[in-house]
Amino acid sequence: MDKYQAAFDAIIEKDDRVEPRDWMPDDYRNNLIRQISQHAHSEVIGMQPEGNWLLRAPSLRSKQVLLAKIQDEGGHGLYLYSVAETLGVSREEMIDQLHEGKAKYSSIFNYPALNWADIGAIGWLVDGAAIVNQVSLQRTSYGPYSRGMIRICKEESFHQRQGYEIMLHMAKGTPEQKEMAQDALNRFWFPSLMMFGPHDADSAHSSKAMQWKIKRESNDTLRQKFIDKTVPQAEFLGLTVPDPNCKWNEETGHYDHSPFDWDEFWAVVNGNGPCNKERLDHHKKAHNDNAWVREAAVAYAKKTESTLV
Amino acid sequence: MESGDKVWEVFIQKKSGLPFKHAGSVHAYDKKMAIQNARDSYTRRGEGRALWVVPAEAIISVPLDEADAYFNPSEDKIYRHPTFYDIPDGVENL
Amino acid sequence: MRITIDNDAAKFVVRLADTEMILGQRLCEMCSNGPFLEEDIALSNVALDLIGRAEQLYKIVSEIENKGLSADDYAYRRNEREYFCLKLVEQPNTDFAWTITRSYLHDVYANEVFKQLLKSDIPNLAGLSEKVLIEIRYNLTHARDWMLRLGIGTEESNSRVQGAVDQMFRYVPEIFHWDVVDNKYLSDTAAIEKSWKSEVSALLKEANIKEPELMDVVMRDYREGFHSEFLGHILTEMQFLPRAYPDAKW
Repeated sequence: MDKYQAAFDAIIEKDDRVEPRDWMPDDYRNNLIRQISQHAHSEVIGMQPEGNWLLRAPSLRSKQVLLAKIQDEGGHGLYLYSVAETLGVSREEMIDQLHEGKAKYSSIFNYPALNWADIGAIGWLVDGAAIVNQVSLQRTSYGPYSRGMIRICKEESFHQRQGYEIMLHMAKGTPEQKEMAQDALNRFWFPSLMMFGPHDADSAHSSKAMQWKIKRESNDTLRQKFIDKTVPQAEFLGLTVPDPNCKWNEETGHYDHSPFDWDEFWAVVNGNGPCNKERLDHHKKAHNDNAWVREAAVAYAKKTESTLV
Repeated sequence: MESGDKVWEVFIQKKSGLPFKHAGSVHAYDKKMAIQNARDSYTRRGEGRALWVVPAEAIISVPLDEADAYFNPSEDKIYRHPTFYDIPDGVENL
Repeated sequence: MRITIDNDAAKFVVRLADTEMILGQRLCEMCSNGPFLEEDIALSNVALDLIGRAEQLYKIVSEIENKGLSADDYAYRRNEREYFCLKLVEQPNTDFAWTITRSYLHDVYANEVFKQLLKSDIPNLAGLSEKVLIEIRYNLTHARDWMLRLGIGTEESNSRVQGAVDQMFRYVPEIFHWDVVDNKYLSDTAAIEKSWKSEVSALLKEANIKEPELMDVVMRDYREGFHSEFLGHILTEMQFLPRAYPDAKW
């Protein structure tokens, strides 16, 4: 084994962090690029379902909170693109891969946001699930990714509360509001549980990523953590989790759940969800329609700044 | 595809008296845009009282292969650390 | 319920509030539609400043009127003819040049207005103006820098920003049709017009943009609640939930 591999192995072994200038195996680098760019795209595409209600937010307060939250998603996408760029891939390449359908983003954002309570459900469940995952990733072995996650977790702590607050208002509001809240929970429950990815036994990228300490906990472990903390929150709202088998199990010390509809999951991952095409088209349109703005900025810099430094 | 946007590294000083700390990077096309983008992306929660942006390409770092040559020689010079010295009990403020 | 605004001071403040609100709503449309991620985030920051400012201004209106109505009531429960925003800020985001030009022309105006309001005797308005001016100073820099980039950048960007300026200038003259209410609460309306024109002229010149003549277009004044056709659509969307579920609390 050469000295570079040995140095890399030692870093992983000691739970140290790999930094951009360190040598790393190609597989490790590629695995990181795939995971981080997917994470970045998810943040950015995730702006759309929430953006769908931004103009219709029902109060000045909720409009500001929602805008600040969507803006954070954009910011987190930006941090993550930055992290991926330290691995030698440019943001431009990542966006091209997204547009060509070569890079994925979290399937959950291919579901539509149909009523105002969906904005609550997205914050509470979707961000809630993302946070469980991201908290775990704060200990990921790649230094810039770990630092990015620490920053993101700190900023996202208000997101889930914002969502839950909306659910609270809706669930305790008029009968129509409560109906919207239950409807949102019904639609978002299973998709947000499937956000954690396939079961451990079926997860293609998981074992290698665990070995390299890119991922610190398995899909099923994280998913169960999320279910266990979320079910009591639903009960507090007076809403019903749309799974008759979701009951506390004394023996395991966890909530049970019904089998997931993985056919639906894979259909959405592979492009056949309710909004896949719309999300991608929206991103392409904003990017392409504004190419002239970026060209203007380049031309202006050339005319006015002879050197950057 | 277009190029011309540059990556700028962002450094933030949280309070006077503290060192500037690397926060991440932004893309921008010119200097003014770089400092504004850094402000909008990295100081949304009152994180800063001062901000630097530096073109990423202007940062020089020690090549990986020379890390030993740069950093190892200082490892055995333990006399640079205060713990190297024995001071008898009873001597204070040293 | 029809919300009227009866007090002169409230009439004056609600014009500012509505203008900031509608521009904020327009900028919300840009969320996830910016030319690149950093600029998307920047435009959201501007929108947040505007909506936050509108909310504070509505609170002042509410205190003066003292009818037990909230800031949200003023924003969400008035119809088109009961709104008093500048037509300028109703204009759509046809492209990024429109977005920037609209903000720039507005920011220059708002900067001059709030400077005079630093000495306002309307309760809480002077204090608010201090904070607002700090925000505007940044937002104005941001908009002005983009005017330069677009004006000087490429042939295409120059022609797009020229088109935006030509169109937006149609909605500028009404800004300066000061009425009794304006003159009661602004110390020197003529100075606002003068400063606005000299700042804008200088910038357009620097940015290689031809300055259109300010011609009076026949359109009734925003102070009487006359608007472009856009406002009705903006309000329809913005007010949908509180209108559809009048008993709900959000």
